[in-house]
Amino acid sequence: MVGLVVVSHSHALAEAAVALAAEMLHGQDVPLEIAAGLDETTFGTDAMAITEAITAADRGDGVVVLMDLGSAVLSAELALDLLDDDALRDRVTLCPAPLVEGLVAAAVAAASGASRDEVAAEAAAGLAGKQSQLGTPVEAGQVDDAAGHEGVLLTVTNPHGLHARPAARLVAEVRAFDAKVELRNRTTSSAWVPASSLSRVATLGALKGHDLEVRATGRQSTEAVEAVLALAARAFDESPDTVNSAPYLTPASPTVRVAADPNSPPGFAAPAAPAAPAVSAAPAVSAAPAVSAVPSDRQPPSAAPSSSSAEPQTPTSPPFFNEISVKSGEAAQEGRGSAGAAVGSGEAAQEGRGSAGAAVGSGAAAWEGDASPSAALGSGPASRGVGASPGVAIGAVWRARAAPVEIPEISSQGAAAEWARVAAAIGTVQAELRGIDDQSGIFEAHLQLLDDDDLLDDVRARVADGAAAPNAWAGAAERVAGEFDALADPYLKARAADVRAVADQVLRAILGVAATSLDGTGVLIAADLTPAETAGLDPANVTGLLLADGSPTSHAAIIARTRGIPAIVGLGPALLDLPDGTLVAFDGGTGEIVAGPTEEVLAQFRERARDQEQRRAESLGRAAGPALTGDGVTILVGANIGSLNDALGAIGADLAGLVRTEFLFLDRDAAPGVDEQVATYREIANALGGRRITLRTLDVGGDKPLRYLPGPVEQNPFLGVRGLRHSLDHPQLFADQLLAIATVAREVPVSVMFPMVSTVDELLRARQMLDEAIAKAGPVREDLQVGIMIEVPAAALKAAAFAPHVDFFSIGTNDLTQYTLAAERGNPALARLADGLDPGVLRLIEMTCRAAGERVLVAVCGELAADEIAIPLLIDLGVRELSVAPPLIPATKEAVRSTTVDAASASAALGLPGAGDVRASRKE
Amino acid sequence: MDTAAFSAWIREFARLVGQNKDYLTELDSAIGDADHGANMTRGLNAVVKMLDEEKPDTPSALLKRTGMTLVSTVGGASGPLYGTAFLRMAAAAGDAETLDDGTFAKMLRAGLDGVLARGKAQLGDKTMVDALTPAVDALDATLAAGMPFPDAMQAALRAGEEGRDATVPLVARKGRASYLGERSAGHQDPGATSVTMLLAAAATTLTA
Repeated sequence: MVGLVVVSHSHALAEAAVALAAEMLHGQDVPLEIAAGLDETTFGTDAMAITEAITAADRGDGVVVLMDLGSAVLSAELALDLLDDDALRDRVTLCPAPLVEGLVAAAVAAASGASRDEVAAEAAAGLAGKQSQLGTPVEAGQVDDAAGHEGVLLTVTNPHGLHARPAARLVAEVRAFDAKVELRNRTTSSAWVPASSLSRVATLGALKGHDLEVRATGRQSTEAVEAVLALAARAFDESPDTVNSAPYLTPASPTVRVAADPNSPPGFAAPAAPAAPAVSAAPAVSAAPAVSAVPSDRQPPSAAPSSSSAEPQTPTSPPFFNEISVKSGEAAQEGRGSAGAAVGSGEAAQEGRGSAGAAVGSGAAAWEGDASPSAALGSGPASRGVGASPGVAIGAVWRARAAPVEIPEISSQGAAAEWARVAAAIGTVQAELRGIDDQSGIFEAHLQLLDDDDLLDDVRARVADGAAAPNAWAGAAERVAGEFDALADPYLKARAADVRAVADQVLRAILGVAATSLDGTGVLIAADLTPAETAGLDPANVTGLLLADGSPTSHAAIIARTRGIPAIVGLGPALLDLPDGTLVAFDGGTGEIVAGPTEEVLAQFRERARDQEQRRAESLGRAAGPALTGDGVTILVGANIGSLNDALGAIGADLAGLVRTEFLFLDRDAAPGVDEQVATYREIANALGGRRITLRTLDVGGDKPLRYLPGPVEQNPFLGVRGLRHSLDHPQLFADQLLAIATVAREVPVSVMFPMVSTVDELLRARQMLDEAIAKAGPVREDLQVGIMIEVPAAALKAAAFAPHVDFFSIGTNDLTQYTLAAERGNPALARLADGLDPGVLRLIEMTCRAAGERVLVAVCGELAADEIAIPLLIDLGVRELSVAPPLIPATKEAVRSTTVDAASASAALGLPGAGDVRASRKE
Repeated sequence: MDTAAFSAWIREFARLVGQNKDYLTELDSAIGDADHGANMTRGLNAVVKMLDEEKPDTPSALLKRTGMTLVSTVGGASGPLYGTAFLRMAAAAGDAETLDDGTFAKMLRAGLDGVLARGKAQLGDKTMVDALTPAVDALDATLAAGMPFPDAMQAALRAGEEGRDATVPLVARKGRASYLGERSAGHQDPGATSVTMLLAAAATTLTA
């Protein structure tokens, strides 16, 4: 008997639905399991529970799963993945039937001994009674006895409609029959299109829930329609694994996200900010005519999303712009924000002409790089687009030669010859496309287009009618693109660009015209770049990139960033009116841009470029140098190292301030021997190139247990046998490690550090064992240092008692904070409590520093050491070494360099009530 | 990156989500059923407890247990979505005890693919995919360009943040928010927000 599983967010709902169904069963035993709610009262679904329910409900005849909504469906799908039993998985049907009606119908069917498919079909038809009662037409997709007649209805159930994969599946299916199959979208009242053409099927714009009509003529028309209906009933064979790799009609590039908002210009996705104020704010130029000059097919300015939301386009410009406006002369002072105003150098701005699309003059103008095409020509004293790739660029603009190819007036050399030219060109382009590393799937879509029946048939027909290859190709491609243009769904509509892109490529191949030339030098301007074009840019020549469209998350932007080409996107069509050779200066980090900059403005940008380059080079270059405070106190900046890789990455570290030797001991079945430890410590020392390495002895325990030394389960491992306590409890393990450390200490500067020390007695026992190890290893270098971690508040309070026995203290602020505030650092609920800048912790640090005196160095090796607010404070308190994660070394050194020692400021912090107060006071 | 690093990553994710529980719920209350913050916090608290108790011994085991725990404790759609992501990441991590940058990137890609396969969302549907996709793309692209991992992860985080921010004007096409239609525009997507926290956690913990 087929089993049933009820998946619901609500346990109560599932119980009640089952009770309803049970009324129909009259005591017959149908395996019926519930997986509903996280518990009796908490709403939620649990894939594991569903897996268990399926397993329990299966008696060999399979299981039908009924679900309520949302996560119930997702969890059920996941549950199938989680089933260990492949055979069982094949016996499970996830049924899209409505839960209550479906369950009642399914229970009755199952009790009658129906097969799994029958049970699922019964459940799926569970709505029929209600629909006929209420006069709603029953989904025709389920009525397959109508096959063979014209205009049989089917309903698209695929979540994304009839997109690439399902459409491709449909096309493949109908091609197998000797029949001419046609479809139309009844919901949108579309025209009939051939089902054998992918691009034409795509033009149906068939979304989920749409009703399609299918009809066929020819010898196998009946079979073909039946096949289509069957296919539709199987959701066009769309499976979870294929749905998202659909190549053709699926948006493959991030730019497509934009299309989701029909009001957005293509390729732009940013928070909305009304652009209208830019227009109304125009002080001198008559704004109204400018606005009315905006072509009517543009969106109104108020609907234009603008990424420059941080920069309200009001008369109060940011200082940077004001400066430019003063200096950039006549054009700039006037034409603020007049959409479409022509800004020549001089009279144009005075007049504020409202001709949309007029050129931005090269005199001294800049324009507002608003993302909205309608507002883009606002010719303000300053402008800004969306910074997409940081860096300053200055250079003359040049543009991609993407002007439409001229189609020559030539006559046909005969249909066969012309078709051969088209076919050869398609072959060439296919080869080019296949050569591209196509992670985006974009080119796969293009390839598919080149194999499209509808397109190719049209070309053939045109060739047969006497058209030459270029005309036939261009005409057919434009027709297909135009059909996409006309679609309402923005996803599909955006595919017109794909058609045109690939069509252009083929046309160039037919004509032997070189593809878009992108080998100029200077600042490249373009409407947008295809991924292929961007991938082909040579950063040596392209000093900057400006796009009228595009978003910071587009492929073009990402590639520009990775190649270090400064870029601004979303500048609007005014950009494209810049004459070739116009000098521009821009900052791809902020999105600021000036065309035809004055010498002063140029100088500002040059200086900014120098500054940026310098800062970058400096912090890297200076990472290797010592970190001195402004008043000349040397602070050692070390690296925290937890692996050999870390050691290799410790660029600029003055030393390894903390080597977590645990990495050698964890995740293995036996302790490392002395030789292995020596070898590893040596490798770390080599990676540090003679700089000091601070080897912390094994810091494990209940919180980080060793497989080969299992300890008793502790109630509270962080307060248990860990750190030095663990080592002293396992003397052989500890002696081996100390021997390895002593051996290395014969060769290189080594510091030994004991973790989790609470009493002086522990330290003395450890020191004694170290002495024994040194006796065994032989004389060590005189610069061997011994220290302890200060993590236990008691150790901080007793620092004076420890000081005579150590060379250094290293404050582990993470544990010290956790223990001082009794707030486990991994507990997100306590995140605010566990702040190392709590004055309680700071007082312990201060006490440790005071007890250390001149001789004993105090280091911090916790997270606080890289906290830019904490660094000056720690230094004020007396900390002289900061050990941080290797990548943070340059920034930490820079932070040290920008501070001066100020003991008074530190004592003020100690008197504050909380960490938040400390942070606030340091930010002032 | 070893198991400890992954543990730190997940714990940091849990911390960020816990810290922003109310914020996530607030975002979700605008366009959903106001449970994202609570659901994710419940799930991730359970994950942290699991990490404390079980101490998985490889990155893969850790990710797998994280995924399984989320699947059973989150309750909402985030459960199977994050669960699938972590399970796919676990599979991609293999048996290795430590992962290199490239494997991590592959792993993250596998997680994204899992989310795509499970949720069937596409870019622009106003979901976590809108933040995760550009981040994974950026990580691949920057690593391929030879950028060191910490910088690459920062770039990925930035891309994720941009993607998250870009969900604001979108109209939801998935999940409960899709019932709101046009009214969902103007609100940031909670899933894109929480997944950006996962990226932020990686950027701070896996780059040490």
